[in-house]
Amino acid sequence: MNNKFSRRDFLKIGGLAVLGTASATAVAQNSQPTHNNSHVSPALQQHGEHEGDLPNTTGEVDHEKNGFNPDEILTDFDYGKVSTLPNGQTLREYEIIALNKNIEVVPGIEYPAWTYNGRIPGPTIRATEGDRIRIHFSNGSNHPHSMHFHGFHPGAMDGIPGSGPGGMVQPGESFVYEFDAEPFGLHLYHCHVFPLARHIAKGLYGTFIVDPKEGRPPVDREMVMVMSGFDVDFDDANDFYAVNAIPFHYQNHPIQIKVGEKIRVYLVNILEFDLLNSFHLHANFFQYYPTGTSLTPAEFTDTIIQGQAQRGILEFTYKYPGMYMFHAHVTEFAELGWNGMFEVAE
Amino acid sequence: MTQQPTQTPRFTFRTFILLLLPILLLAGVIALFLSTGGGLDLDSAAPVEGLDVERYNLTKNMIELHVRNTGPEEINVAQVVVNEAIMPFTITPNTAIQRLGRAVIQINYPWSYGEAYAVTIFTSNAIAFGVDIPVAFETPQPDSATFWGFTLIGLYVGVIPIFLGIFWFPALRQLGRRTMTFLMAATAGLLIFLGLDTIAEALEFAGEVPSAFQGIGLIGIGAVATFLLLDAISKQQTNASVDETQRRLSIAFMIAVGIGFHNLGEGLAIGAAYNVGEIALGTFLVVGFIIQNITEGLGIIAPVLRDKPSIKNLAVMGMIGGAPAILGAWIGGYTPSPFLAVLFLAIGAGAIFEVIYEIAKLIHKDTTREPMPMTVFSGVLAGMLLLWVTGLLIK
Repeated sequence: MNNKFSRRDFLKIGGLAVLGTASATAVAQNSQPTHNNSHVSPALQQHGEHEGDLPNTTGEVDHEKNGFNPDEILTDFDYGKVSTLPNGQTLREYEIIALNKNIEVVPGIEYPAWTYNGRIPGPTIRATEGDRIRIHFSNGSNHPHSMHFHGFHPGAMDGIPGSGPGGMVQPGESFVYEFDAEPFGLHLYHCHVFPLARHIAKGLYGTFIVDPKEGRPPVDREMVMVMSGFDVDFDDANDFYAVNAIPFHYQNHPIQIKVGEKIRVYLVNILEFDLLNSFHLHANFFQYYPTGTSLTPAEFTDTIIQGQAQRGILEFTYKYPGMYMFHAHVTEFAELGWNGMFEVAE
Repeated sequence: MTQQPTQTPRFTFRTFILLLLPILLLAGVIALFLSTGGGLDLDSAAPVEGLDVERYNLTKNMIELHVRNTGPEEINVAQVVVNEAIMPFTITPNTAIQRLGRAVIQINYPWSYGEAYAVTIFTSNAIAFGVDIPVAFETPQPDSATFWGFTLIGLYVGVIPIFLGIFWFPALRQLGRRTMTFLMAATAGLLIFLGLDTIAEALEFAGEVPSAFQGIGLIGIGAVATFLLLDAISKQQTNASVDETQRRLSIAFMIAVGIGFHNLGEGLAIGAAYNVGEIALGTFLVVGFIIQNITEGLGIIAPVLRDKPSIKNLAVMGMIGGAPAILGAWIGGYTPSPFLAVLFLAIGAGAIFEVIYEIAKLIHKDTTREPMPMTVFSGVLAGMLLLWVTGLLIK
């Protein structure tokens, strides 16, 4: 409510500091004791005094109608249709289509998203260093789109306007992106058509994993987490944040792991409009491999920061059973949806 | 006789049909328009929605929003964000709110005393509506302590100053005719100032009224209707040829009524402002209010200075003028309603301007006997300046 009660402006003084008259004091006295009650003592809090709800969305997203579920996206690695080229090189072929699709991003709100293969994030493309990647990209939407991969490739395969027919694939048209998967590491792909911020923010992004030839050391579980947000009212500021698209999904559906299991998380930040994103793991530390381009960890920490398109690999193991939170330590993002839980069993 | 006498107009079945014809045609046009669009492409790209947070209620760990759908179509409340955190909520009676329908949203939130909060409500079409809570504190509930508190506020800003003004009566009676005319003119000046102030206040509240309720139109209806109604009552009294004394007394009563409505609006504003934590009734402010409103009492008695109104009449006039401030503080404090505020302020403005018109007639009678143009000029100006200068105290 705005300051509209300007009864000869005398009310605009604001605040409650000086309540000088009997009249005002009589009213104020009523509010004082109750205000004191609202500050529950620490002892009471320890006894579980209910202080208010935790941030969460109200209701549940219809995953079936959305056509994807973050539970599945978490471990869904797409190795493509595999064959061998005459020169002995492994060929991995993918069919990817850009589609307009209404996605229920939070319960009750359908967002007119732009997607790769009808899901956000798009398919997690995974190959081994030196493999040949062939992507049959078609545009089934009503806007021009492209696929711009991070990694080594010829200019004509860069997927940006001006780079040839693959730079801006018109509605109804298609293009084949073909290049060798290198260097090894954790990368990403996204649409690169103007206006870029909108094309990315509306959902056109995905993970591109290139494993080293000799592979990474074996772990028990591998997961992919793409950090992003949604600007549902188009004011170029995010209204909701999440990993793997749906706010609070892993808070409401904790990821099940076991004590002693070695976990590897491929973490990608494609958040638009905000400068930074971050990842914090509770009650634990992780080895961090920025961009995944080295097999030697750069840091042993519990919090990392990523700017847009930065990514890295996390490896950790839980020693004790229990419920452990992971979230953006940009706490505003956490309370607007980017919050999840690991449920660690014996 | 060859020529038929002119028939007196009579309401026949034929007249009825003729009256009905355009309405039937209108229904046809609307039906055609709704079914075909009338050749216009009227599908909007984005839905048009309106949601007003009419008031909020803060209790321990609870933020309660009273909302009204002011858009053209039904809306659905999807999510609620409090200070950059998505919060679970309950909504009664339903997440779907009909056009002009109301709902109550409850959020279990550990708000802290004295801090500011911003609540954003997202509808299913991802349209965001916000409300700011500038200073959070427990919303006064209707209990005896707050009831008495609001009563005291009303007494201080309304009743006491007006009675103080009326206490000038014995002294002012000693004055000469010319001075009395000056006082009448000063009263007119006071009322012009109050009338403008009331209109400005009504316009401010009109901005808060949901657009469907057309706040500006409401001001027109309230003000014009009151003006004309009081004018009609006054003319009836003139026709009934009541004596001059009686007539001046009734004008004094009308001034009291006008000022009463003005003070009702004032009380509403104070109560509502208290509710949203915008008010700090410091000693100095209350003193300023008493000084300014004392002039309202003066205005009420000005027309009857040369008469001998009974103590009872003076007391009743004082209550009519001042007590509505108490009523306004209650209403504004417990169920702030911009709609009611606009209506009351508009009625007050209409009453005040009608009373100015009556006083002008009284002054005119005096000045026809003895021309004193400078007295009228200086009186009106003095009245306006008096309020302006005392207003400086509480700005």
